[in-house]
Amino acid sequence: MARFWCAVLILACLELSTRVGTAPICSYGQAGCHTPSLADIFDRVIQQSSRMHGISSDLHSEFEQYFFPSKNLIGKPKCHTHGIVTPADKENAQRLGREQLTEVILRLLGAWGDPLLQLYRSMSQDQNQDFNHYSSNKALEISDMVHELRDGVAKMAEKMKLSGVLGNTVGYISPEGLVPSSSFSFYKHGELNSMDHHDLLYCFRRDSNKIKNYLQILKCTTLPGLDC
Amino acid sequence: MWRDLGLAVLVLLSAAVESNSTSPPGKPVLLSCRSPEKETFTCWWEPGSDGGLPTTYRLYYERERLEGVHECPDYWSAGSNSCFFNKTHTLIWVDYYLTVVASNALGNATSDIFKMDVMEIMKPNVPENVTLLVVETEDSPYLHIRWEHPRNTDTESGWVTIKYELRIKQEKNNKWKEYMSGTQSHFSLYSIAPGGVYTVQVRCKLDHGSWSEWTNSTNVKVPNYVQNERSFWILVATLSAIPFMAAMCTLIVKRENVKQCVLPPVPGPKIRGVDFHLLMSGQSEDSTNALIINQNFPLIVGWKDQMEEYLIVTENDIGPPSDASHCQKRKKSLIIPAGFCSDWEIQCKSTHIQNDCAGGTKNETGNFPKNNKSLSGESLSYMEPSKLQKQQCLGQNFVNTEATDPSPLNYDNAVKPFTNSGYVDIRKHVENTQEVNVKQVDYSRVEDVNGDNVFILNNKNLAFNSSGYMDFQRQEEKLSEDYSRVKEVGSNNVVVLQIQDMSADTKNPHATGAHKMGVCTELINSEYIDTIPAPPLM
Repeated sequence: MARFWCAVLILACLELSTRVGTAPICSYGQAGCHTPSLADIFDRVIQQSSRMHGISSDLHSEFEQYFFPSKNLIGKPKCHTHGIVTPADKENAQRLGREQLTEVILRLLGAWGDPLLQLYRSMSQDQNQDFNHYSSNKALEISDMVHELRDGVAKMAEKMKLSGVLGNTVGYISPEGLVPSSSFSFYKHGELNSMDHHDLLYCFRRDSNKIKNYLQILKCTTLPGLDC
Repeated sequence: MWRDLGLAVLVLLSAAVESNSTSPPGKPVLLSCRSPEKETFTCWWEPGSDGGLPTTYRLYYERERLEGVHECPDYWSAGSNSCFFNKTHTLIWVDYYLTVVASNALGNATSDIFKMDVMEIMKPNVPENVTLLVVETEDSPYLHIRWEHPRNTDTESGWVTIKYELRIKQEKNNKWKEYMSGTQSHFSLYSIAPGGVYTVQVRCKLDHGSWSEWTNSTNVKVPNYVQNERSFWILVATLSAIPFMAAMCTLIVKRENVKQCVLPPVPGPKIRGVDFHLLMSGQSEDSTNALIINQNFPLIVGWKDQMEEYLIVTENDIGPPSDASHCQKRKKSLIIPAGFCSDWEIQCKSTHIQNDCAGGTKNETGNFPKNNKSLSGESLSYMEPSKLQKQQCLGQNFVNTEATDPSPLNYDNAVKPFTNSGYVDIRKHVENTQEVNVKQVDYSRVEDVNGDNVFILNNKNLAFNSSGYMDFQRQEEKLSEDYSRVKEVGSNNVVVLQIQDMSADTKNPHATGAHKMGVCTELINSEYIDTIPAPPLM
């Protein structure tokens, strides 16, 4: 019996430890607040981005199975973030440098806050389709994750600046400044149809993968060692 | 006949057709594409029918953010019917639209568009250099498995995140047991069976891609040393079990003796003065006499806590003496309990002494020495009475064994109380214990009583038996003449007896006493003193 409760406790601890981003990070060093190290922040952020990508990938594949079972080519979706220049291979990513890489990450994260919220609202309002009804909570989850991750990466950038790892060229990036309004009008305000849903999911799956990959590169160039 | 004709026509036509058939190629099919390290990728197609003519296959692709249609840069590196895209031609997170065109002299055939993103087609090569090592620790051995990442995969820059999985099978089972290793390239398996053969396979995956193939099996045999240690302990246990079993067997075989030792038999109750055998043999007269006598003994309260029963039985003299003057030589049996007769070793016959030798008795009592020797009860041998009477010697009184006169003697004046358990007991060794009327009298005459509890006896024919008694072995015929007179009292509780005739008392300075004693010598003759030498002198 004691072993059972031990196992339960261990599982609970593991479960709590895998939750990333829910605990507040004391970036200002308040009294009584245990500030995590840069390595811890990196780990948390990378775990969060990995989870976010997993959920969005699942959501996209479910969407495609539900709406487009014949796997016809739907066309060439254009993402609203294609204006953000992102490195597409390893050499380019490594050549970019830490500051620019951090900036790209923040831009990507900032560009997705509103569209995901809109996606969730659209999916939850659309009661006609079962898929939207049952999968809207996933959309909400990734929407929340994007916001948390953005805050986390911002804090991480601050910490890196404090420790001198990051130069001061990374300024404060406002969410509105990241995404040009022209691309945001890409999507109709208000009602989004299934095609819009699909496009959003498709684009976000790709961008979350980019975010995760860039964060990993950033970590391994900043703190080489374990897991690199 | 018509059938045969039709068949012939058919054969001819087919021959004609065959000889003339060339056709445009069949439609090729793009099978799959694969990127092993997220830097290059390869695509394979399956050709259709070639239409009988030499057919060429070309792959064309379009790409997001790239204008125009491009052809495969490398048809040969990856084998036939494949297209290899090297690093410069590979971009991640962009869509590729691939088509294969088969063409021969007669025409072309185009495959369906195959859309892919490198992000989705990742499947690494197998891990390499899987090594197994049995680590022998003190407690228990464990299996340590190491491997390396696939050769072309760059895991250090963070570009790819590689995860490993391994599966282990024991030789006997056919079931694989799978373990996740995460990003570590080593793994430890505990609790392995010694002597077992283990087979291990490893595979990996990149990011969210597909798993690679399993590596080839690697085997290892765990040595049996742990069993040797265990067998050593088994041997020790077996060897120690043998004497244990032997002890148990002896205990069981000798269980009666063990029972005797552990649970000694509780002595049954015995009634004082009653001889069980006597009762059994039916001689109830003596036993009832003994009982009666026993009942009349006054109790001495003070000595109750010194109830060390010591019973000495000699042969009984049946019948009371009729006349005191006829101090016939009789065998008297006196039983002196050790506790009571501490100071007085000599007992006198009670009844007729009292009757006949009133003064003498007093003298006798006065002559009775006090022996300060403390004789422990253990030094006294207790003779199992065969059929003799037993009597208690009470503290201050002398007990008469005469059955006819049950009145206790009153020697309070002269008799000193017994303070300790010392006494001298002259016991006559009865040869024939079955006869009552054996006329053997052993006696010693107390001549003088000294203040130091010394008595003077005259011992003769001292014979020591095993219990340290001095046995007076007297012949029956000599008894009438033999008596001992206490000659002198030594200093260390020594009593010197002399054997002399009754007439020779004048030599003794205490002749009067002796004479008086002589008066009672007859009586004394019928008394005996059990001398118990060899007690520790005080």
